[in-house]
Amino acid sequence: MNKYVLNSEFYIVFNNGDCQESHLPDRVCYQEGVLSFDNIQPVEVQVIYLLDKSQSMDLCIKVASRSEVSLIESKLLDSQASLHKTMMIANDAIMHVFSENTSQDAKSEEDIYLKENAVCQYGYAELSDESFDGQYHYYLQGEGADVKVRMAILSKAKEKKHFEVLIEHLAPHTYGQMDNYGVVKDEGKLVIDGIGTITKGQHGSASHQTNKIMVFDAKCVASANPYLYIDEYDVKASHAAGVGKMDEEHLYYLQSRGLSKKQAMHLITYGYLKPVIEVVDNEMLKERFEKALSKVGA
Amino acid sequence: MSTLKIKNLHVKVGEKEILKGINLEVTTGEIHAIMGPNGNGKSTLLSAIMGHPKYTVTSGSILLDDQDVLEMSVDERARAGLFLGMQYPQEIPGVTNSDFLKAAMNARREEPISLFKFIRTLDKNIEELDMDENLAHRYLNEGFSGGEKKRNEILQMKLLQPKFALLDEIDSGLDVDALRVVSEAINSMRSDDFGCVMVSHYERLFELVKPTHVHVLVQGQIVMSGGYELVEKIDREGYEWIKELGIELEQEEDKRIILGTCGKKEQLKHE
Repeated sequence: MNKYVLNSEFYIVFNNGDCQESHLPDRVCYQEGVLSFDNIQPVEVQVIYLLDKSQSMDLCIKVASRSEVSLIESKLLDSQASLHKTMMIANDAIMHVFSENTSQDAKSEEDIYLKENAVCQYGYAELSDESFDGQYHYYLQGEGADVKVRMAILSKAKEKKHFEVLIEHLAPHTYGQMDNYGVVKDEGKLVIDGIGTITKGQHGSASHQTNKIMVFDAKCVASANPYLYIDEYDVKASHAAGVGKMDEEHLYYLQSRGLSKKQAMHLITYGYLKPVIEVVDNEMLKERFEKALSKVGA
Repeated sequence: MSTLKIKNLHVKVGEKEILKGINLEVTTGEIHAIMGPNGNGKSTLLSAIMGHPKYTVTSGSILLDDQDVLEMSVDERARAGLFLGMQYPQEIPGVTNSDFLKAAMNARREEPISLFKFIRTLDKNIEELDMDENLAHRYLNEGFSGGEKKRNEILQMKLLQPKFALLDEIDSGLDVDALRVVSEAINSMRSDDFGCVMVSHYERLFELVKPTHVHVLVQGQIVMSGGYELVEKIDREGYEWIKELGIELEQEEDKRIILGTCGKKEQLKHE
C-alpha cells in the first residue's frame, strides 16, 4: 500500500485526511478540508487519497466560476476505509476528471454539484484488485449544467463490486449522460445501479444512460439496473442495460486470423471498455486511462 | 510447395448433414473455383476447413501437408497458413484495425514486427487497395460498407501471406471498380507458394481471376471438376444440364428469394 507515482507538475497528497505533501499552482489552495480552484489559466492537478485501514476522510473541492480544471485522482484506500468527497463546480467552470482506483475493500461516497452552465466529464477506471463500493451522485442545480460520466469496471476472482451512479436534474435544460461498462470474470460479482432523476419543472432536460456488463465465466454474478424517475413532460430520457457473454463470432473472427483465444479475448475486452476513454478530452488523461485499461483481460 | 488435402469430408450443422463426402486436393500455385447453386454447401466447406464451431465434422480428413487440420484450433489453423476471407466479416467495436492487424501479423512471427515496418506495409497495402487512409484508426469493420469490409478481408490476406486463402464470395458487395482492385490484389498473390479456393456465383470474378481448376458442388458433393470451360458452360446454361448427368438438383424452387443477390440469377433462369 501507499505506493503512488507523481507525474504531474502539480499535485496534492492526502494521508488519512491530512495534506502530506503538495505543490499547487497559483490561485489553487488547500485549507481545512477544502481544496479550492480559482485559476484563470487551465490547470492540471494530481490528487492522491491515502487512507489506512478503517480510516475515513472528508474533502471538499471547490471550483470557482470560469475556472478550467483537469484532475487526475488516485484512490488508495485500505480495507474498511471510506472516502467522502464533495465537489462544487460553479457556473461556467469546466472540470475533467480521470479517476483510478487501486483500493482494498473500501468505500467512496462522492457528491458533485454543478451550477449554471458548468461542465463536468468524469471517467472512472474501477479496476482495483479487491471489492469496492462506490456511490457517485451528481446534482445538476444550475440551468445548462452538463455532466458526462463513464465508468470501466472489472470484477474478478472473488471480488464484490457495487456502483451507484445518480444524476439528478434540479434545473431546466440540464444534460446528464452516463455510460457504465463492466466486465466480470471468475467468481466476481458486479452490481451497477444507474439512476436518472428529472424533477418537476426541469423542462428541456435530457437524461441518458447505458449500463452494460460482459460476463466471462459461469460463476459470475452480474446485474445492471437502470432507473429513470421523470416528473416532467418536456424532456428526453433513455436507458439501456444488458448483461451478456462475449460474442462467439467475434472470437472466431479474431482467432481465424491467428490470435490465440486469450489474445482475442483481451482485444475484445479492451475494445469494449475503451469508449470510457472517449469521455476525456485531455490527451494525457487519455493515455493514462488507456494504460490502466490494458491490464484488463490479461 | 504445400498441399491441402480434403478426403471424404462429411459435415453437419445441428442435425442436418450438409457435406456428404467432399474430396478436394489443392496445391500451392493453383486457384480452385467452387461453383454450384445456393444452399448446396460451398460456404460450409470453407467454414469447416477454417474450423467454425457451428460446423461438426462427422467423418473424413483435412490435411495440410502432413498436419491434421481437424486436430487444430481455429487460431492454430490460421498460424499454419490457412486464411478465410469471410462472406460476412464481423464488426468489432473498440478494436482498431491497426491493433488488430498488428496482433494478427505478430501471431505468425517469432519476433514482433517493428512499428515502422508495420506502418509502411499497412500504408502501402491500403493504397494499393484504394482504401480509406484513416482505416488504421477506425474500429474493425464497424460502419464499413459491404465493399469496404470485403477489401478489408483482402487487406488481411495480403498482410498475413497465407499458404492457402479460402475466399467466400469475396466479390459480393463490390462495385465494378472495387472488383477490379480486389481481383488485382488476388492475382498479385499468385505464386508457387500460394494456393486459393474461391467461392462465387458470378463468372465475373473468375474472368478476372482465372482459376486453374473448377468444381461444381451440388448437394454436398463435388459432382464435376474441370478447367475454366466449366465456368463458361455454367454462365451460358446455368445448372440445369447437371440433371442430365443423373444428379438430382435440390433447387429451393418453392422458396421465394427475398433478398435477391446471389440467388437472383438462378431464380431468373427458372422463370
